[in-house]
Amino acid sequence: MPDLVIRNGRIVDGTGLPAFVADIAVRDGRIARIGRIAETGAREIDATGLVVAPGFIDPHTHFDAQLLWDGFAKPALSHGVTTIVPGNCSLSLAPLKAAHRTKLVGMFNQIEEMPLRAFSEGVVWDWESFPDYLARIRRGLGVNVAPLVGHSLIRLWVMDEAAMERIATDSEIAAMQQLLRDCLEAGAIGLSTSFVDMDERLQPVPSRYADARELDALAAVLGEHGRMLQIVPEFYDPDLTIARLDQLAELSIRHRIPTSFSPLFLNADNVAAVERVMARVDEQFARGARVWPQVQTRPIDISFSFAVPSLLFFRFPGWYRLIRFGTPEAIRAAFTDPASRAALVAEVAPFDALWPRLVLRHVRTAANRPLLGKTLGEIAALRGTTAVEAMIDLSLEEDLDAHFLAGGMGHNDDAKVGALLAHPHVHIGASDGGAHILSFSTYGDTGHLFARFVRETGALSLEQAVRKVTADTAAIWGIPERGLLKPGMVADITVFDPATIDRGPEVRAEDVPGEGARYVRESRGIAAVVVGGRIAWTADGGYQEAAGAIVPGPMAAAPALAAA
Amino acid sequence: MADATGSGLSPVRKAIVPDAGDDWAAIARRALPHLPEAEAVSALQSWNLHLFLRAPAPPGSPRQGNPILPSDIVFIEPPLPA
Repeated sequence: MPDLVIRNGRIVDGTGLPAFVADIAVRDGRIARIGRIAETGAREIDATGLVVAPGFIDPHTHFDAQLLWDGFAKPALSHGVTTIVPGNCSLSLAPLKAAHRTKLVGMFNQIEEMPLRAFSEGVVWDWESFPDYLARIRRGLGVNVAPLVGHSLIRLWVMDEAAMERIATDSEIAAMQQLLRDCLEAGAIGLSTSFVDMDERLQPVPSRYADARELDALAAVLGEHGRMLQIVPEFYDPDLTIARLDQLAELSIRHRIPTSFSPLFLNADNVAAVERVMARVDEQFARGARVWPQVQTRPIDISFSFAVPSLLFFRFPGWYRLIRFGTPEAIRAAFTDPASRAALVAEVAPFDALWPRLVLRHVRTAANRPLLGKTLGEIAALRGTTAVEAMIDLSLEEDLDAHFLAGGMGHNDDAKVGALLAHPHVHIGASDGGAHILSFSTYGDTGHLFARFVRETGALSLEQAVRKVTADTAAIWGIPERGLLKPGMVADITVFDPATIDRGPEVRAEDVPGEGARYVRESRGIAAVVVGGRIAWTADGGYQEAAGAIVPGPMAAAPALAAA
Repeated sequence: MADATGSGLSPVRKAIVPDAGDDWAAIARRALPHLPEAEAVSALQSWNLHLFLRAPAPPGSPRQGNPILPSDIVFIEPPLPA
């Protein structure tokens, strides 16, 4: 008897070929047969009228910490995501000496906007090595995890404080190579590095002190196993992005490795720049390099309050310094003192078009509740003041816990973004899942892909979109045995209604350790999610069995890799 | 950095990655030897505002006074015409 039968579904198998109607039988965690299944399964899913697809793979997340208290990476799994890649942007949670924990938490807080209390109250630090971290998150894992190793962590482990001061010696590079090799052999999917990120002191992260020979040496180790190099380039400048992707292309060809850079945003003011970048990507692929740009599906919407630092204010040094390093008392004092307040208002005056558009989305006091949903422009008109002054006043009245939404900040021209997502050399990803938790929801990008760019605009066919987030992603990253529906493959399966799949509205959830909150979006139109042959989530039953795995897993247990 | 010559790649803005200990003057001497050093440094700085305008290193840092990091991209010519 099959462990599970999914009946009457419209199979979109990940190859990009047309959908077809069939049943799927699952046995011992793998797809046993696709066709007409006469036997009754121990469990059955009726997929009549629904699409049955491989589980979606999210290649750019920061679930590293969340996995320690939530093995399902909620709510990503409920959106049909069965495999996640944490450890991006040079930051992972291992290998990590005890002496470097505070440093790492500071970097996660600064770069990924993860609250400090989530680490202090949600994390029991009982590992140092990469294998020990993997053993730790394996407990209760409901989603598959393909973990990257962070370059900044590798440097810190080998060089300690010097990792943030200088280039490595030859012997230090050799030690980093061996450490990376050990991580890959324990199950890491590759290495991540960053050329832009700043630490908690607003100084460059350790990976930025590496010279070209160190990066080449580490890429050589990746080449021993055909594993991925992920980078964050200077994405704000097309010339710099092109120079970085040329550097990646050389490493890709020399060491026979796949590489990926993220993010690549398409905004109203950089259309020609993105065309130049993509033209270079095409040229490098034509040479035989693999340089996959990751493009997110969702537009840029940013929420903020002055209770926590927001990267939205990074371009305003006076504001950013205050909210990054100031105590709540100092922020309130700066907002109250006429001279400092005037200086802050003057600093953001050149962006006068932005502030009236912001929407008030969360307050504590009953007095201000009637203003929820109004723009700062509307509130300013009611109060006879300016939008910036209204923002400051509301923040003082709400003890800094007034939250504002800056919607439509970019990447929101559906026609252009849709065409970019459909490009054969674009890798759909860059969700940042699990990070920036009070700035925006990083969940539901696949729902948005199918709702906006398949159903509404038709930029991609259903089969194309499924292939992009399943088989293509598995092939690009060298994730074996996943991404396709065919006999013998691991049974990671997402069942959804193509007429209703979407991401729900962004809502605030109070579910972060340390009494923290985050913005999330619940899934729409997903009926069931199967991980490793077990039903992990259903729309009517919620989260269920935990059968997630580390992929590709330890070398000894993994089959030969076939990276794209 | 990649040299487009013979690779089938279109010309892009020329850039280098620094050698160990490079500062503006060292890069200027190597990349723009035909210019007087002060003029070459000034040109490099104007082409690399992402480095020139970088926040200073903290007091006591070994890289104090030199904003160039070992992983940086340094352009050695102005932007190409559109």
